[in-house]
Amino acid sequence: MKLKPDHSSASDEQLVEAAKDGDMGAFEELVARHRDKIYARAFSMMRNEDEALDLSQEAWVKSWQRLKQFQGESSFGTWMTRIVINLCLDQLRRRKRQRTESIEEMDEESGGVERQMPVVNVNPTEGLERGELRKRIDHALGQLSHEHRTVLVLHEFEEMEYKEIARTMGCSIGTVMSRLFYARRKMAALLASLKTEDSK
Amino acid sequence: MTDQEAQLKLQAFMDGELSVRETSEVRDLLERNPEARALLAELRNTKAALAGNEAECRLPESREFFWSKIEREIQRSSRPARPVVSQSWFAWFRRHLLPVSGIALVSCLLALAALRSGGSSAQMGEMELNADDMSSYTYRDQQQKITMVWLSDRNEDSQFTEKSGLASVTSE
Repeated sequence: MKLKPDHSSASDEQLVEAAKDGDMGAFEELVARHRDKIYARAFSMMRNEDEALDLSQEAWVKSWQRLKQFQGESSFGTWMTRIVINLCLDQLRRRKRQRTESIEEMDEESGGVERQMPVVNVNPTEGLERGELRKRIDHALGQLSHEHRTVLVLHEFEEMEYKEIARTMGCSIGTVMSRLFYARRKMAALLASLKTEDSK
Repeated sequence: MTDQEAQLKLQAFMDGELSVRETSEVRDLLERNPEARALLAELRNTKAALAGNEAECRLPESREFFWSKIEREIQRSSRPARPVVSQSWFAWFRRHLLPVSGIALVSCLLALAALRSGGSSAQMGEMELNADDMSSYTYRDQQQKITMVWLSDRNEDSQFTEKSGLASVTSE
Protein backbone atom coordinates (compact mmCIF):
# COMPACT_ATOMS: atom_id res chain seq x y z
CA MET A 1 0.00 0.00 0.00
CA LYS A 2 1.37 3.38 -0.99
CA LEU A 3 1.37 5.92 1.86
CA LYS A 4 0.25 9.47 1.19
CA PRO A 5 3.22 11.85 1.59
CA ASP A 6 3.05 14.24 4.54
CA HIS A 7 2.93 17.74 3.11
CA SER A 8 2.39 19.65 6.32
CA SER A 9 6.10 20.17 6.97
CA ALA A 10 6.97 21.20 3.41
CA SER A 11 7.54 24.84 2.47
CA ASP A 12 5.25 26.66 0.05
CA GLU A 13 7.97 26.52 -2.60
CA GLN A 14 8.31 22.75 -2.25
CA LEU A 15 4.56 22.31 -2.40
CA VAL A 16 4.33 24.48 -5.52
CA GLU A 17 7.00 22.39 -7.25
CA ALA A 18 5.22 19.16 -6.30
CA ALA A 19 1.87 20.57 -7.43
CA LYS A 20 3.41 21.57 -10.76
CA ASP A 21 4.24 17.89 -11.22
CA GLY A 22 0.59 17.04 -10.68
CA ASP A 23 0.62 16.29 -6.95
CA MET A 24 -2.92 17.18 -5.86
CA GLY A 25 -2.06 16.49 -2.21
CA ALA A 26 0.57 19.23 -2.30
CA PHE A 27 -1.92 21.62 -3.84
CA GLU A 28 -4.51 20.75 -1.21
CA GLU A 29 -1.98 21.72 1.47
CA LEU A 30 -1.43 25.08 -0.25
CA VAL A 31 -5.19 25.63 -0.32
CA ALA A 32 -5.44 24.80 3.38
CA ARG A 33 -2.66 27.24 4.24
CA HIS A 34 -3.89 30.22 2.27
CA ARG A 35 -7.63 29.71 1.97
CA ASP A 36 -8.57 32.12 4.79
CA LYS A 37 -6.45 34.94 3.41
CA ILE A 38 -7.79 34.48 -0.12
CA TYR A 39 -11.36 34.34 1.09
CA ALA A 40 -10.82 37.40 3.30
CA ARG A 41 -9.52 39.40 0.36
CA ALA A 42 -12.49 38.39 -1.78
CA PHE A 43 -14.86 39.27 1.04
CA SER A 44 -13.23 42.65 1.67
CA MET A 45 -13.81 43.54 -1.97
CA MET A 46 -17.24 42.01 -2.56
CA ARG A 47 -18.78 42.35 0.94
CA ASN A 48 -20.86 39.27 0.22
CA GLU A 49 -20.19 35.84 1.69
CA ASP A 50 -21.53 33.76 -1.22
CA GLU A 51 -19.74 35.76 -3.89
CA ALA A 52 -16.53 35.70 -1.86
CA LEU A 53 -16.78 31.91 -1.52
CA ASP A 54 -17.44 31.38 -5.24
CA LEU A 55 -14.66 33.72 -6.30
CA SER A 56 -12.11 32.29 -3.91
CA GLN A 57 -12.95 28.78 -5.15
CA GLU A 58 -12.62 29.97 -8.75
CA ALA A 59 -9.27 31.54 -7.87
CA TRP A 60 -7.95 28.21 -6.60
CA VAL A 61 -9.09 26.36 -9.70
CA LYS A 62 -7.46 29.03 -11.90
CA SER A 63 -4.25 28.87 -9.93
CA TRP A 64 -4.05 25.10 -10.47
CA GLN A 65 -4.51 25.62 -14.19
CA ARG A 66 -1.88 28.37 -14.31
CA LEU A 67 0.56 26.93 -11.82
CA LYS A 68 3.18 26.34 -14.50
CA GLN A 69 3.22 30.11 -15.14
CA PHE A 70 4.17 30.84 -11.53
CA GLN A 71 7.91 31.43 -11.56
CA GLY A 72 8.32 32.50 -7.94
CA GLU A 73 8.94 36.24 -8.52
CA SER A 74 6.65 36.86 -5.54
CA SER A 75 5.48 34.56 -2.77
CA PHE A 76 2.79 32.02 -3.62
CA GLY A 77 0.38 33.83 -1.27
CA THR A 78 0.90 37.14 -3.08
CA TRP A 79 0.45 35.47 -6.48
CA MET A 80 -2.77 33.85 -5.31
CA THR A 81 -4.03 37.13 -3.86
CA ARG A 82 -3.48 38.83 -7.24
CA ILE A 83 -5.55 36.13 -8.91
CA VAL A 84 -8.48 36.57 -6.55
CA ILE A 85 -8.25 40.38 -6.77
CA ASN A 86 -8.45 40.20 -10.57
CA LEU A 87 -11.45 37.88 -10.40
CA CYS A 88 -13.19 40.24 -7.96
CA LEU A 89 -12.47 43.22 -10.22
CA ASP A 90 -13.87 41.35 -13.24
CA GLN A 91 -17.00 40.57 -11.26
CA LEU A 92 -17.35 44.19 -10.11
CA ARG A 93 -16.93 45.41 -13.70
CA ARG A 94 -19.65 43.05 -14.88
CA ARG A 95 -21.90 44.28 -12.12
CA LYS A 96 -21.09 47.92 -12.89
CA ARG A 97 -22.12 47.48 -16.50
CA GLN A 98 -25.51 46.31 -15.30
CA ARG A 99 -26.27 49.15 -12.92
CA THR A 100 -26.64 52.88 -13.19
CA GLU A 101 -24.04 55.32 -11.99
CA SER A 102 -23.68 55.50 -8.25
CA ILE A 103 -23.77 58.73 -6.30
CA GLU A 104 -20.09 58.33 -5.52
CA GLU A 105 -19.22 58.20 -9.19
CA MET A 106 -21.23 61.30 -9.88
CA ASP A 107 -19.43 63.04 -7.03
CA GLU A 108 -16.12 62.00 -8.40
CA GLU A 109 -16.89 63.33 -11.84
CA SER A 110 -18.38 66.58 -10.62
CA GLY A 111 -15.42 67.43 -8.43
CA GLY A 112 -16.33 65.36 -5.37
CA VAL A 113 -17.69 66.22 -1.97
CA GLU A 114 -14.51 65.19 -0.20
CA ARG A 115 -12.98 68.61 -0.68
CA GLN A 116 -15.85 70.23 1.17
CA MET A 117 -15.63 67.83 4.13
CA PRO A 118 -14.37 69.45 7.31
CA VAL A 119 -11.02 68.14 8.48
CA VAL A 120 -11.26 65.68 11.38
CA ASN A 121 -8.94 67.23 13.92
CA VAL A 122 -8.93 64.50 16.53
CA ASN A 123 -7.80 60.94 16.05
CA PRO A 124 -11.10 59.01 16.03
CA THR A 125 -9.47 55.69 16.77
CA GLU A 126 -7.28 56.78 19.67
CA GLY A 127 -7.63 54.65 22.78
CA LEU A 128 -9.65 51.91 21.10
CA GLU A 129 -8.65 48.33 21.72
CA ARG A 130 -7.65 46.39 18.60
CA GLY A 131 -10.76 44.24 18.32
CA GLU A 132 -13.04 47.26 18.52
CA LEU A 133 -10.87 49.21 16.08
CA ARG A 134 -11.01 46.39 13.54
CA LYS A 135 -14.76 46.17 13.92
CA ARG A 136 -15.18 49.89 13.29
CA ILE A 137 -12.84 49.87 10.31
CA ASP A 138 -14.74 46.96 8.82
CA HIS A 139 -18.04 48.74 9.37
CA ALA A 140 -16.73 51.96 7.78
CA LEU A 141 -15.26 50.05 4.81
CA GLY A 142 -18.68 48.58 4.23
CA GLN A 143 -20.07 52.10 3.75
CA LEU A 144 -17.77 52.88 0.84
CA SER A 145 -18.53 52.22 -2.81
CA HIS A 146 -16.76 49.26 -4.42
CA GLU A 147 -14.41 51.55 -6.34
CA HIS A 148 -13.28 53.48 -3.27
CA ARG A 149 -13.05 50.44 -1.05
CA THR A 150 -11.01 48.53 -3.63
CA VAL A 151 -8.45 51.32 -3.96
CA LEU A 152 -8.15 51.57 -0.19
CA VAL A 153 -7.81 47.80 0.25
CA LEU A 154 -5.18 47.52 -2.47
CA HIS A 155 -3.17 50.43 -1.11
CA GLU A 156 -3.45 49.92 2.65
CA PHE A 157 -3.77 46.16 2.99
CA GLU A 158 -2.03 44.87 -0.14
CA GLU A 159 0.52 47.71 -0.02
CA MET A 160 0.37 48.34 -3.74
CA GLU A 161 1.78 51.52 -5.24
CA TYR A 162 -0.40 53.91 -7.24
CA LYS A 163 0.99 52.63 -10.54
CA GLU A 164 0.28 49.01 -9.68
CA ILE A 165 -3.27 49.81 -8.54
CA ALA A 166 -3.91 51.73 -11.77
CA ARG A 167 -2.69 48.77 -13.82
CA THR A 168 -4.72 46.27 -11.80
CA MET A 169 -7.90 48.33 -11.93
CA GLY A 170 -7.44 49.49 -15.50
CA CYS A 171 -7.64 53.21 -14.75
CA SER A 172 -5.28 56.20 -14.65
CA ILE A 173 -2.97 57.05 -11.74
CA GLY A 174 -4.94 60.30 -11.36
CA THR A 175 -8.15 58.31 -10.81
CA VAL A 176 -6.40 56.13 -8.25
CA MET A 177 -5.18 59.21 -6.34
CA SER A 178 -8.58 60.83 -6.46
CA ARG A 179 -10.42 57.68 -5.31
CA LEU A 180 -7.89 57.03 -2.56
CA PHE A 181 -8.21 60.59 -1.31
CA TYR A 182 -11.99 60.39 -1.22
CA ALA A 183 -11.92 56.97 0.46
CA ARG A 184 -9.56 58.16 3.19
CA ARG A 185 -11.53 61.31 3.90
CA LYS A 186 -14.77 59.37 3.99
CA MET A 187 -13.21 56.80 6.34
CA ALA A 188 -12.02 59.59 8.66
CA ALA A 189 -15.53 61.06 8.75
CA LEU A 190 -17.16 57.66 9.33
CA LEU A 191 -14.76 56.73 12.13
CA ALA A 192 -15.27 60.14 13.72
CA SER A 193 -19.05 59.73 13.59
CA LEU A 194 -18.75 56.36 15.34
CA LYS A 195 -16.67 58.01 18.07
CA THR A 196 -19.30 60.76 18.44
CA GLU A 197 -22.04 58.13 18.77
CA ASP A 198 -20.03 56.46 21.53
CA SER A 199 -19.62 59.63 23.55
CA LYS A 200 -23.38 60.36 23.55
CA MET B 1 -7.17 74.49 1.27
CA THR B 2 -9.35 73.72 -1.74
CA ASP B 3 -6.85 73.24 -4.52
CA GLN B 4 -7.44 69.66 -5.62
CA GLU B 5 -3.98 69.21 -7.06
CA ALA B 6 -2.38 70.39 -3.82
CA GLN B 7 -4.54 68.03 -1.78
CA LEU B 8 -3.65 65.04 -3.92
CA LYS B 9 0.03 66.00 -3.76
CA LEU B 10 -0.24 66.13 0.00
CA GLN B 11 -1.57 62.59 -0.03
CA ALA B 12 1.11 61.43 -2.45
CA PHE B 13 3.71 63.06 -0.18
CA MET B 14 2.43 60.95 2.72
CA ASP B 15 2.49 57.80 0.57
CA GLY B 16 6.04 58.49 -0.64
CA GLU B 17 4.95 58.77 -4.26
CA LEU B 18 6.44 62.19 -5.09
CA SER B 19 9.65 63.13 -6.84
CA VAL B 20 12.34 65.01 -4.88
CA ARG B 21 11.30 68.33 -6.42
CA GLU B 22 7.60 67.83 -5.65
CA THR B 23 8.43 66.70 -2.11
CA SER B 24 10.20 69.95 -1.43
CA GLU B 25 7.22 71.91 -2.87
CA VAL B 26 4.87 70.15 -0.45
CA ARG B 27 7.21 70.80 2.47
CA ASP B 28 7.06 74.51 1.63
CA LEU B 29 3.28 74.36 1.50
CA LEU B 30 3.08 72.65 4.88
CA GLU B 31 5.29 75.31 6.48
CA ARG B 32 3.09 78.17 5.45
CA ASN B 33 -0.41 76.60 5.40
CA PRO B 34 -2.04 75.36 8.67
CA GLU B 35 -4.99 73.85 6.74
CA ALA B 36 -2.59 71.69 4.78
CA ARG B 37 -1.01 70.54 8.03
CA ALA B 38 -4.43 69.68 9.51
CA LEU B 39 -5.41 67.72 6.40
CA LEU B 40 -2.13 65.83 6.42
CA ALA B 41 -2.67 64.95 10.10
CA GLU B 42 -6.12 63.57 9.28
CA LEU B 43 -4.77 61.51 6.38
CA ARG B 44 -1.99 60.15 8.59
CA ASN B 45 -4.43 59.20 11.35
CA THR B 46 -6.58 57.27 8.89
CA LYS B 47 -3.60 55.53 7.35
CA ALA B 48 -2.27 54.58 10.78
CA ALA B 49 -5.68 53.30 11.90
CA LEU B 50 -5.95 51.04 8.86
CA ALA B 51 -2.42 49.67 9.00
CA GLY B 52 -2.56 46.07 10.19
CA ASN B 53 -6.14 46.43 11.33
CA GLU B 54 -8.06 44.66 8.64
CA ALA B 55 -10.89 42.65 10.16
CA GLU B 56 -10.08 38.96 10.52
CA CYS B 57 -12.20 36.81 8.30
CA ARG B 58 -12.24 33.03 8.10
CA LEU B 59 -13.61 30.90 5.32
CA PRO B 60 -16.96 29.58 6.56
CA GLU B 61 -16.44 26.01 5.27
CA SER B 62 -14.41 23.09 6.54
CA ARG B 63 -11.08 22.28 4.93
CA GLU B 64 -12.40 18.99 3.54
CA PHE B 65 -15.59 20.40 2.09
CA PHE B 66 -13.92 23.40 0.49
CA TRP B 67 -11.20 21.21 -1.00
CA SER B 68 -13.73 18.69 -2.32
CA LYS B 69 -15.41 21.46 -4.34
CA ILE B 70 -12.11 22.65 -5.75
CA GLU B 71 -10.96 19.13 -6.56
CA ARG B 72 -14.22 18.35 -8.34
CA GLU B 73 -14.00 21.54 -10.37
CA ILE B 74 -10.36 20.86 -11.31
CA GLN B 75 -11.24 17.35 -12.46
CA ARG B 76 -14.24 18.61 -14.39
CA SER B 77 -12.25 21.32 -16.14
CA SER B 78 -9.32 19.02 -16.95
CA ARG B 79 -11.53 16.36 -18.51
CA PRO B 80 -10.90 16.29 -22.26
CA ALA B 81 -13.72 17.54 -24.38
CA ARG B 82 -15.88 14.79 -25.90
CA PRO B 83 -14.45 13.95 -29.31
CA VAL B 84 -16.73 14.62 -32.23
CA VAL B 85 -17.69 11.20 -33.59
CA SER B 86 -17.49 11.08 -37.34
CA GLN B 87 -20.94 10.12 -38.51
CA SER B 88 -21.00 7.17 -40.82
CA TRP B 89 -23.66 6.82 -43.53
CA PHE B 90 -25.35 4.10 -41.54
CA ALA B 91 -25.41 6.16 -38.34
CA TRP B 92 -26.93 9.07 -40.24
CA PHE B 93 -29.53 6.74 -41.80
CA ARG B 94 -30.34 5.19 -38.46
CA ARG B 95 -30.68 8.54 -36.77
CA HIS B 96 -32.71 10.42 -39.37
CA LEU B 97 -34.18 8.21 -42.06
CA LEU B 98 -35.18 5.20 -40.02
CA PRO B 99 -37.73 6.99 -37.80
CA VAL B 100 -39.12 8.87 -40.81
CA SER B 101 -39.41 5.62 -42.79
CA GLY B 102 -41.16 3.96 -39.87
CA ILE B 103 -43.72 6.75 -39.58
CA ALA B 104 -44.31 6.69 -43.36
CA LEU B 105 -44.84 2.93 -43.33
CA VAL B 106 -47.35 3.08 -40.48
CA SER B 107 -49.17 5.94 -42.24
CA CYS B 108 -49.39 3.91 -45.46
CA LEU B 109 -50.77 0.87 -43.65
CA LEU B 110 -53.38 2.96 -41.86
CA ALA B 111 -54.44 4.62 -45.12
CA LEU B 112 -54.67 1.23 -46.82
CA ALA B 113 -56.80 -0.18 -44.00
CA ALA B 114 -59.10 2.86 -44.19
CA LEU B 115 -59.59 2.42 -47.95
CA ARG B 116 -60.42 -1.26 -47.55
CA SER B 117 -63.02 -0.54 -44.89
CA GLY B 118 -65.20 1.03 -47.59
CA GLY B 119 -64.96 4.73 -47.13
CA SER B 120 -65.89 4.85 -43.45
CA SER B 121 -62.47 6.08 -42.55
CA ALA B 122 -63.68 9.58 -41.79
CA GLN B 123 -66.06 8.27 -39.18
CA MET B 124 -63.41 6.03 -37.71
CA GLY B 125 -61.03 8.91 -37.49
CA GLU B 126 -63.50 10.94 -35.44
CA MET B 127 -64.29 8.20 -32.91
CA GLU B 128 -63.58 9.17 -29.34
CA LEU B 129 -64.70 6.58 -26.87
CA ASN B 130 -64.88 6.67 -23.15
CA ALA B 131 -63.73 3.38 -21.65
CA ASP B 132 -66.54 3.47 -19.06
CA ASP B 133 -69.21 3.44 -21.81
CA MET B 134 -67.76 0.49 -23.64
CA SER B 135 -68.00 -3.21 -23.09
CA SER B 136 -66.35 -5.98 -25.05
CA TYR B 137 -66.88 -9.69 -25.55
CA THR B 138 -64.31 -12.08 -26.86
CA TYR B 139 -65.13 -15.37 -28.57
CA ARG B 140 -62.52 -17.93 -29.45
CA ASP B 141 -63.16 -20.91 -31.70
CA GLN B 142 -60.41 -23.47 -31.16
CA GLN B 143 -61.40 -25.57 -34.19
CA GLN B 144 -61.51 -22.68 -36.62
CA LYS B 145 -58.65 -21.02 -34.82
CA ILE B 146 -60.46 -17.68 -34.82
CA THR B 147 -60.70 -15.01 -32.13
CA MET B 148 -63.57 -12.47 -32.38
CA VAL B 149 -63.80 -9.28 -30.30
CA TRP B 150 -67.30 -7.74 -30.07
CA LEU B 151 -67.52 -4.11 -28.85
CA SER B 152 -70.76 -2.52 -27.67
CA ASP B 153 -71.77 0.96 -26.42
CA ARG B 154 -73.80 1.04 -23.18
CA ASN B 155 -74.70 4.71 -23.50
CA GLU B 156 -78.24 5.32 -24.76
CA ASP B 157 -77.29 8.74 -26.16
CA SER B 158 -74.49 7.34 -28.15
CA GLN B 159 -73.52 9.33 -31.21
CA PHE B 160 -72.88 6.12 -33.08
CA THR B 161 -75.57 4.97 -35.40
CA GLU B 162 -74.94 1.37 -34.45
CA LYS B 163 -74.78 0.58 -30.77
CA SER B 164 -72.43 -2.32 -31.24
CA GLY B 165 -70.16 -3.88 -33.80
CA LEU B 166 -67.48 -6.40 -34.54
CA ALA B 167 -64.16 -4.84 -33.74
CA SER B 168 -61.77 -7.46 -34.97
CA VAL B 169 -61.45 -10.98 -36.24
CA THR B 170 -58.08 -12.60 -35.90
CA SER B 171 -57.26 -15.94 -37.41
CA GLU B 172 -54.16 -17.86 -36.39
